[in-house]
Amino acid sequence: MASKKILVADDESHILNVVSLKLRNAGFEVITASDGQEALELAQSERPDLLITDYHMPQLSGLELCQRLKQDPATAKIPTIMLTARGYQLDTQDTEQNGILRMLSKPFSPRHLLSTVNEVLAAAAAAA
Amino acid sequence: MLALVAGGILCFSQSLGEAIHGGTRLHIGIFGSVLFVLGAGAGLAAIVLLRRDCRFLIDAIHRMTSSGRLDTLRTTNPEIRPLILAVNEMVEAADQTVSEAVLRMKELEIELKVATAQRQHAEAIIYSISDAVLVTDTFDELVLSNEAAARTFQFDLERSRRLPINQIISDEKLVELIRDMRQSNSSTGRRIVEHRVKNQREDKIFKVTLSAVADNNNMPAGVVAVLHDMTREKEVAELKNDFVSSVSHELRTPLASIKAYIEMLIDGEYDDAKTQKEFYEVIQNEANRLSRLIDNILNISRIESGLVQINKQPQSLMVILKEAIEVIAPQAKLKQINLVEKLTPVFYQTLADKDMLYQAVLNLLSNAVKYTPEGGTITVQTLVDEAKRKVITRISDTGVGIPPKDLPFVFDKFYRAEANNHMAKGTGLGLSLVKHIVETVHRGRIFVESHVGKGSCFGFELDLCE
Repeated sequence: MASKKILVADDESHILNVVSLKLRNAGFEVITASDGQEALELAQSERPDLLITDYHMPQLSGLELCQRLKQDPATAKIPTIMLTARGYQLDTQDTEQNGILRMLSKPFSPRHLLSTVNEVLAAAAAAA
Repeated sequence: MLALVAGGILCFSQSLGEAIHGGTRLHIGIFGSVLFVLGAGAGLAAIVLLRRDCRFLIDAIHRMTSSGRLDTLRTTNPEIRPLILAVNEMVEAADQTVSEAVLRMKELEIELKVATAQRQHAEAIIYSISDAVLVTDTFDELVLSNEAAARTFQFDLERSRRLPINQIISDEKLVELIRDMRQSNSSTGRRIVEHRVKNQREDKIFKVTLSAVADNNNMPAGVVAVLHDMTREKEVAELKNDFVSSVSHELRTPLASIKAYIEMLIDGEYDDAKTQKEFYEVIQNEANRLSRLIDNILNISRIESGLVQINKQPQSLMVILKEAIEVIAPQAKLKQINLVEKLTPVFYQTLADKDMLYQAVLNLLSNAVKYTPEGGTITVQTLVDEAKRKVITRISDTGVGIPPKDLPFVFDKFYRAEANNHMAKGTGLGLSLVKHIVETVHRGRIFVESHVGKGSCFGFELDLCE
């Protein structure tokens, strides 16, 4: 079975690096974007199995990115995990409508992120 | 005089009797006639005297009437003396009543003056209050108001008195609040509500204090509404909230890297010693970033509260600049930004707090890196004006630039140019701190020049020391 492809979007290069490394070490194929616009383009061209995105990003915020992906049938079904350094949580309407399945707040544990990724992918596979 | 007349008449009647009954009729008749004439004459004289005295009295009364001054009436005529005494007594009593009335009137005049002065004073106090004041009576008519109220609700202060409140202000909610308070029939009640007032220019938020007032008999007499403008307080509270929110975001970001990399090291998730070293370096850099941010926040609040310890010594500004450039170089390298130094020799010195000035320079450099796209150039230049004994530092970039409308506010606390918000995260504190350090701590001058799309130049001017 080909490894699952995960798109990681964050404007903090250190976060991008650490998440990529953790996922690659676990056997995933990882592609990265450093802003919302780049992530949108990559999602459209690469069709990842999962998106991990920061909330606060230049050009396009994490939420705007998810909204745009939802509008296109080709990318509408990409399950998403959102990372946020904001103290607040998005309301459930925003998350449910835009395919955001989990919210993790920064600082986060790469270990916990990996187990969340596995759970979300397993749930997506079961639903398919 | 009356006695004389009476005597005359008595004599006359006696002689008439004797004339009828007597023998020597003729003699008696002559004697009687003489007596009669004498009696009549005396009577006539008495009447004349009486009339004259009466006229004197009437004249005296007229004089008193026209002069308005009461006086005692006098007469030598014994016939009218008791009458005059009685009249004098009456006049005296009337005079006293009038005097008392005049005195009372004067007292009332003074009381009126005092009351008017007190009312004007109270009104002046109400007029001078910056809070809007509306005082209504039991008919919901405006009794008293002030300039602040007229301005807020845009009515004419002079013409509004005694008009129903709903004809003066169009704010239905407020009219209802006043009416409710009046209808509650309370004589001591008080209610505080927050109320938003909309007018053409802006929305304002007021704290409205409604108090029921009572008259002397403790009956409800009306309502006093005092509106305190708390728009600014609300804004400050919002700014504080935003500040806490963005500061916590700024603190979480480096902390997130530190925690994630430490976990990776613990879990042994690195390929080789080189990666391991990279992880340590990330942790170190992010920890430094965190402490810089905390320094910024603390310094700004310390300078603002005047608690900061300033340690000014002759320093070479160029040395400080070189140190800051060294620290910022890795970040610039990451974005392939070219750092150019055009510094004057190090022997020029300024009286400065080294740590603070270093902080200011670092903030300016860090901003330049943030807002300059990849491959750009940042130039750090110093110019010495020997004649004016000044040194000017200019940090110019080839960044996005600042729109002219934002330029006057860039040094304000929490202010961030919206157009460049997407470029970088920030607390809106960095430049505010730089301004404080340059102007408050070092009595220098800060400046900014910027062209959208071309770049910005931030700089400051300090005095050289001997």
